[in-house]
Formats: sequence, structure tokens, C-alpha cells
Amino acid sequence: MAGVLLSRTEKVFIIDGVKDEYRSDGRSTIDYRPMELETNVVSHASGSARLRLANTDILVGIKTEIDVPKPDKPALGKIDFFVDCSANATPEFEGRGGEQLANSISNMMQRAYQSPQAFDLKQLCIFEGKQCWKLYVDILILECGGNLCDAVSLAVKAALFNTKIPFVKAALMDGGNIDLQLSDDPYDSKLLDVGSAPLLVTLCKIGNKCVVDPTAEEEKCSSVSLIVGVTGNRKYYSDDDTEELPAFQPKCSAISMHGPGSITTTTLRNAINQGIIAAVCLDEALGKTVVRERRDIEKFKRHSYGFLK
Amino acid sequence: MEGRPRALLERGLCSAVDAQWLMMMMMMMEGRDCLKSYDEVYSGLFDEKGHRKDGREMKEARAMYARGNFVSQAKGSSYIEMNKTKVVCSVFAPREISHQNEFSTVGQLFCEVKFAPFSCHLQRQPHVPDAEEKALSVALRKALEPTVCCHLFANFQIDIFVYILENDGACLAAAITAAGLALANGAVPMYDIITASSIAIIGDKMFIDPTEREEHLALSSPETKQNHGVITMSRMHGLKQIADFRQIGSLDVDCILKATDILEEECNKIVPKIQMILVRYINNGIIQQKKLAEAAKEREAALKIKMKEWSSSIIKISD
Amino acid sequence: MAEIFKHIYPSKYFNDYISRNVRPDGRKFDEHRDVKVNINAITSADASAAVKCGNSTVVCGIKLELAKPKAEEPDTGFLISNVELLPLCSSKFRPGPPSDHAQVINNIVSDIVMNSKCIDLKDLCLVHDKLAWVVYCDLVCLDYDGSIVDACIVAIMTSLKTLLLPSVSFDAETEEVKVDTSARLPLKIHGLPVATSFGIYEHIPRNIVLADPSAYEEEMCGGVGANLIVCWNKGLFCGIQKFGGSNLSTEDEKRTLVLAKEISKLVEGVIETCIKNDKVK
Repeated sequence: MAGVLLSRTEKVFIIDGVKDEYRSDGRSTIDYRPMELETNVVSHASGSARLRLANTDILVGIKTEIDVPKPDKPALGKIDFFVDCSANATPEFEGRGGEQLANSISNMMQRAYQSPQAFDLKQLCIFEGKQCWKLYVDILILECGGNLCDAVSLAVKAALFNTKIPFVKAALMDGGNIDLQLSDDPYDSKLLDVGSAPLLVTLCKIGNKCVVDPTAEEEKCSSVSLIVGVTGNRKYYSDDDTEELPAFQPKCSAISMHGPGSITTTTLRNAINQGIIAAVCLDEALGKTVVRERRDIEKFKRHSYGFLK
Repeated sequence: MEGRPRALLERGLCSAVDAQWLMMMMMMMEGRDCLKSYDEVYSGLFDEKGHRKDGREMKEARAMYARGNFVSQAKGSSYIEMNKTKVVCSVFAPREISHQNEFSTVGQLFCEVKFAPFSCHLQRQPHVPDAEEKALSVALRKALEPTVCCHLFANFQIDIFVYILENDGACLAAAITAAGLALANGAVPMYDIITASSIAIIGDKMFIDPTEREEHLALSSPETKQNHGVITMSRMHGLKQIADFRQIGSLDVDCILKATDILEEECNKIVPKIQMILVRYINNGIIQQKKLAEAAKEREAALKIKMKEWSSSIIKISD
Repeated sequence: MAEIFKHIYPSKYFNDYISRNVRPDGRKFDEHRDVKVNINAITSADASAAVKCGNSTVVCGIKLELAKPKAEEPDTGFLISNVELLPLCSSKFRPGPPSDHAQVINNIVSDIVMNSKCIDLKDLCLVHDKLAWVVYCDLVCLDYDGSIVDACIVAIMTSLKTLLLPSVSFDAETEEVKVDTSARLPLKIHGLPVATSFGIYEHIPRNIVLADPSAYEEEMCGGVGANLIVCWNKGLFCGIQKFGGSNLSTEDEKRTLVLAKEISKLVEGVIETCIKNDKVK
């Protein structure tokens, strides 16, 4: 992302290494770097999360609002993504420099969440045709260390997992108008079903093979990368171990390419398969983490930390 | 709230309640699918014999009419018509990059896709590019970047404008093919011919080159967990590489891989047509140049004869 | 060779042709280019027409909507025209909000259509003070090669002539509107305005009037767009507007009026034939 200068020899070193499935930090081609995730960091948002993936730092805040549903989709709610590349991340983002990147990430997220099999908007409906919830997902890029899409999708899924939608207590029909009463109790809220929300996996094509989670040096050696959005497995996100869920099959909810290069069909095939394997592992890890965090909160009183350690 | 009711509202010609009512009226006027259930719309896509509504087979793409040199004022231009989808593209010669102070070692592409206000069911506001147009512009640019030799026009930008006169599905694919033809027509250095095609998947049925209704249904929600989605792929034929691959919806891997094979074949089918058009224009250009050269020779010969006459008459006078 | 000369010395190139009584594309001074008309090409619009005057191409698409009439004029409908000069039609136009030139042409076109009274806006009103038609005419220029107003007027008049309005039933008590798109009636059009553009080139001893100038000729004559626009409506003089360019003598003005009248008859013939052929199909 930011100015990383590589000599030709270093590039050759990285490309040859990837050919034999060796990466400079010892990972395999589908391994991620260690991540830190913290939820509920923004107190006045309905849901929030902060994710740190090596040098990339993403903060997501979710706000809920009551809105009128679209006339051609009366039983569905709405979800809107907004990405803000702050100038803190790299000096290139100053002014309107980060606008293109922000637009492409928010487009990607919108496409990935478009299918009801990825995120079911029916759970956001209050009264069919008249009122529904609208979620505003605000994504703030605090530091840019490569591999933005993956980090953004992970942070968004974690934030959605702990979003609390207030309960609608009574809905009176008053001559065609709806009168809503929201409950005052902040703990009287419902949670969203986000188990199947998609995770984006960026596969960077270096030489003839693809690697997951490239470092900034590895990104410099590649000309094209493929972004695959894979739906999640609801099993990892539910508290009930006894609940019977149907057999899970991961599905691609959005695929796009990025960069000035082109790929062959075989590379595309291999990359999609690789991406799905990586996404399934990632999903499991994320699911276990957020479920464990929720259980811990419920059991113990949590000390509060600031998010700028 | 989209389209013209918003424009009327902003101009103060109607109140907010009226605007909402107008939206419903507009939809009823078009017999809009939104008031029908999913299954009704699905069965509406097929006719009695089980073919698609416009008579095609599932695997049949629409017949394509294409021509270059459509806009006389542009360096290169093209017009592509696939049954009801009509796309015009024009390419302008390298210009300096707007809003940039530093030198860039590669050239840039500036792509803009616009819909005509009368191209879709719901009206569009002119002048203001909405989210779909912006997304299409970015997608077009991503598809064309691998094809154009950007290093040959460093620090310049090439403007590519696509205008969609009528939208009946597969507009991104048509736009990419039109832009490729216009760039070749305008003698912009490229690595290969680029063609694109798209496919809509509903359940286990694959609709090649979908119409707008088929596309719209593929993106909306079925009750079951079946596959649904739209894939657009653009390919460079000679290099056998995929320039851009775009999928939206929810599909499993086998479906995607099968669709990739089908799309590859479809993209290959378009290539001979594009090649024929480009060769024809070059042929015409050569024939025209020959005619001009012959006419020039005749004029020169006539001039020479006259020169001889004058020089001989001058000699006579001076004698 | 000639192309290079045209780029380096455009005025001399043009002058060389004009002084030999011919224009660069081979026409005489009062010859106009061929007009080609095609209707109902765009099926998503309620009516459409595509017009080519030489190389200048304009496509008109009409979309219908319903609205409540204004309070001050409770029994008039709306006819809103909009001309778009796309960046794709010429390198003179850049993407973004409409340029001044586009807005000027928009004004000219809507003035000609309104002042010729070819459509009575009261015909567009369905229910007094409750419901009226809004006719959106979007004129899109695909190739800008001069005389754009001529092409726009032909396009908008042809598409208005082929426009069919659906029948609407309005229930006054429940305020329910039912639109029947299958039963359609044509709109009443009175007259057929046709505009002709001229360019006035400064030349010694006398300024020369060029009919139906191309973009290059318009540039050479100075000003933005055509210098003189004359409009005839079925044998009745409808309007004349002059912008920029050089001076025009009175005999030349009379000549242009006569010329414009002839051209307008020809163009009317083309439009009528086109519509008749389409009906026969």
C-alpha cells in the first residue's frame, strides 16, 4: 500500500518462494497472520468492533434507524455500507485520495451482503410495508497495512454479531399510521442472526500461485488479486450446541478481480477453491472467538479498556 | 426514493405523500413484477414450450449487431445492439490527465458509463451519476485495464464514454465489448481483443445472455436455499486470459466452475464478429487510400502536361 | 496531407474552399445534408425517434408519468424537454453538469415547441386539479456535427407524433387510478415546426450564408453553434433567432427565409412518409 521499495532480487526471491509454497514469514499459502479483535468499543453505537490484522487497523460502528422499506421489497430491511479512509492511515488518503478505494470496498461489501442467503434482511422488518430497520455500517480505516477487504469483512461480521436491535414494544394502528414504542431498557434488545454473513478473502496471484493475506512486500510482487466472498456457517455462531442445523455448504456470494493484470481459467478455479478453504477456517476461528467473548461478558463483569492501547 | 418523483418533489411540484403515491402508480403502469410473487414471475420467464420468453434456448445468446465508426467526431467509436440492449461507445485521443500534478509513468483510462433517461422502466435523473452507473464505470475500467498498453502513453489519459440507450440485461457485458471494439477502431494500442458475456443462474437453470427480467429475478430472493446469481466475465481471446470476473448472488463452487466454462465459449463466439468488423474497416481504408492515390496521380499527370505547354509557350515568346 | 493542412491552418483551408464557391464537403452554399428518420427504435420508451442530419445524430425518447397539476394552472399538463450534449458526441463536451451551450439549446428547443403551440397542454390534463400527464422528452445527442437544433426539433416532433397515451380511469371517491396500457390514444398535434440552421461566414465583399453548417463550418463562422435559426410551421413563419457570427444583410435574410421554407417542406415530407411506413407495417 504505502511506499515499500523492493529490489528485483527481492521480488524474484518472493516469487520463487511462493512457487515452492514457502513464504518469507513461514506461513502456508492459506494461513492468516495473527489478529486481535475487540467488540463493543464504541458505546453509543448499536454494535461495534475493532480488528487489528498485522499492520491493518479497522474500526466498525453500526447504527440502527427506523426507515420505510422499499416499495418493491416491503418485507425486507435495509443495510448500507460506508467506508471512510482516514488520512491517518497513509498520507495518500488525504483529501479525496482515498475515495476510489473506499468506493470499491463499500461496493464489494454491498454485493457480498446482497443475497438473502448471506444476510437475511427479513429479520430487520418491523411492520411489513410500513416500517423496517435500516443498519448503517460505518467502516473506518485507521491504518493501512495491506489486505483491507478481509479485515473489513471480519470486523463487520463481528460488529453485526454484537449489534443490539431495540425491541419494539407496541405498534398501534392509528388511521393508517404506525405508532411505535421502543423499549427504554438498554438490555431489552434482540440480537441478529449473522452466522451466514460472508467473509471476503483476498487471494493475491504471485507467479502462478495464489496466496492468502499478502504482506505489503508480497503485494508489490503481484499484478492481480482475486477477492472471493464466502458465506459463513451458522453452526459456529450459535450458543446452542444441541440445535440441529442442516448440513452446511459454503457458497460464494461475491467474486471480483482487482489490479491491472489478468488470469487464466485454471488459476481462477484453483483460487476459488483455495479461497473457500481459507474462508471456512477463518469463519470457524472468528465464530469461536465471538461466541466465547459473549459468554465471558454474560458471566463476568468486564473491565473497560480504551481502544488506543 | 428514486427517479422523477424525487425530481418533482425537489422542484416543489408535489408533496411527499403524493410522490410516494406516484411511485406506486408508475409501477402499476408498467405492470411491475414487484406486485407479483416470486413464483409467478419465474413462470412468466418461460413460454408454453419451455423456451425463454423471447424464443431462445437456455444456452442461446442473443444475435449481436455491431459496427464501428459510429460517431464521426470521436477517434474511435462503436455501436452494439443485442436485441433490445443498445450501447454506444466512443473513445477520444490521449489527453492530459485531469486533476493531477505529478508525472505518472503509465497512461490512465477514464471510463464513464451513463444510462439514457428513457432506457429503463423507472426514470433516471440526468446529470447526476447514481450508484449503479458509478459501479459500472469502475467495472468497465477494471476490465479494460489489462487490455490496453498503458505504458505507451505515459502521463496521458484516454477517455472512454459508454452510453446505454436501452437496457434489457447484460449491459456490462455489452459495454465491455463495445469499449473493446471502439478502442480497436480508434487505433489505441492493445494487447488483444476483449469480449464479455454474462449468465444468470436461478436454481439449476442457467440463462445465457440474460434479459433484464431474468437478471432481476436472479438477484432477488427465492424462499429456498437454491443457487441464484449473475456472473459477468470478460476475456482476452488470443492470450486466453480472463480480464475481469464478477459474480454477485449466492452460488456454490461447482456451479461457478461450470458457468466459467460456458462463459468462455460464449466469449469466444463473439471474437470472429469483432475481427470481421475491424478487418472490413481496414479494407475500406486501404481501398479509399488507393483511390485517393490514383486521383492524385491523375492530377499530377494533368499538371505536368500543362507545365510543359506553358514552358513551351514561354520559350516561343522569348524566341 | 490535406488533414494536416486542415489542422495547422483551419481558416486558410476553409477560405480556399469558400473562395471557389464550394464547401469542404462538396456541397453548395445553400444545399443541406440528407435527413434520415427512424421511429420506435427504443422499446423501453413510450415513443422514440432517431434522426441523422448528415453526421449529426439525435435520439429522442419520451417517458410518461402522472402528476398533480400546479395549483395556479389546475387544468394543464406538463411537457418537459431536456437536451443532453454527451461527452461522447464530441471532444468539446466534458462529463459533468450540462454546459451553457447545452442549456441554451434546451431553451431554444423548448421555446420552439411551446411557442408553435403544436401541443395544447390542456389535452394532457386528465382530471381537473387532480391528475395530469407529464411528458418527459429526453433528447440525446450522439454525434455533434453541426445543426443540432434542426435534428432535435425533427426528433421531438416525430416522437410526439407517434406518441400514444394510455387510457386512465380515476375514481374520485377512493382516489384510485387505473392505467390501461393496452388501450392507447394518439396525442393531438397541431402543425409541425421545422427549424433550419445557418452559418454566416465573414467574407469580403459580402458575407456568405451557409445552410446546414457542419461542426467545422460552425467553428469557422464564429460563435457557438449555428448563427441563425429559422423556424417554419406548415407554411407559417414560426420564429427566427440569431446568435453571434457576422452581420446579415436584409436581402440575405429574405433569401434564408425562402430557403428555410423549402427545406421545411422537404423535412415534413420525410417525417410523414416515415410515420406512414411504420403504420403500414
